[in-house]
Amino acid sequence: MEEFASDLMSQLESKVSFVIPIFGGIPIATSVVITWGIMLFLVILAKVMVRDLKMVPTGKQLYLEAAVGWINSFVADILGEEGRKYAPYLGTVAIYIGISNVMGVLGITPPTKDLNVTAGLAIMSIILIEYSGIRKKGAKGWLKSFAEPMPLIAPINVLEIFIRPLSLCMRLFGNVLGAFVVMELIKLIAPAIIPVVFSLYFDIFDGLIQTYVFVFLTLLFMKEKMEHE
Amino acid sequence: MEALIAVGAGIAVLTGAGAGIGIGIATSKAAEAIARQPEAKGDINKALLLGCALAEATAIYGFVIAVLIILFLK
Repeated sequence: MEEFASDLMSQLESKVSFVIPIFGGIPIATSVVITWGIMLFLVILAKVMVRDLKMVPTGKQLYLEAAVGWINSFVADILGEEGRKYAPYLGTVAIYIGISNVMGVLGITPPTKDLNVTAGLAIMSIILIEYSGIRKKGAKGWLKSFAEPMPLIAPINVLEIFIRPLSLCMRLFGNVLGAFVVMELIKLIAPAIIPVVFSLYFDIFDGLIQTYVFVFLTLLFMKEKMEHE
Repeated sequence: MEALIAVGAGIAVLTGAGAGIGIGIATSKAAEAIARQPEAKGDINKALLLGCALAEATAIYGFVIAVLIILFLK
């Protein structure tokens, strides 16, 4: 048990894969290397999928159009037609988080288990949220929106800029970490067959739900910023 | 000292009880709402998922704090 505890603890830390030997050595974390792998996979997938597109879709193009259409309509449902320009970014984030959460099934450490990755995603989200507010209402209207519904609660509205990314980041990180720890404990008790059932829930179902929740919450916050006058 | 750290981590994880009750209430109401108005299923599901995500966050914070207690006080 003691050995298992220290083993688990060592897996919780974010590891350094290799060091680039310039400027006194730049450490590259494992999560970055895995992210490069996902990027490569997605680029190749995109290249293969968009080869010889036709006006009348057949075969793989049908699936591609269904997936892209789903992301577009998901964004447009919440933000309205004008929000469609944010769909490419949100779709990219959804695909990245989805793939990295589900990767645990293959035995690869998910990059989202590294707090730095989820923090980066959350910071990009809050920048997008505030940007969408400025874009819609102008800098003045955006500043004025902090005094809504009354000037008294302006400090709370300002605090929200920091709380929202923190909660986005911690939610994703905590869920992935929690699923990882529970899976390790189950593997300790029953090394064969039984983990498969739980893996279906923790790695696939929970991972996809968290992806959906991350994008959904970003969208809702954007809508709130863009909405009230 | 070791035992006290374990007790502290255990107390931090008690936040899960609140999240469980919250999600339970939300789900029961959602089931009721869908039974009454099956045509509004999509909207109800969306609201339910949002509520669950926010309620669940408290449990996640408790868990993260528990892990941090164990990691940093060891």
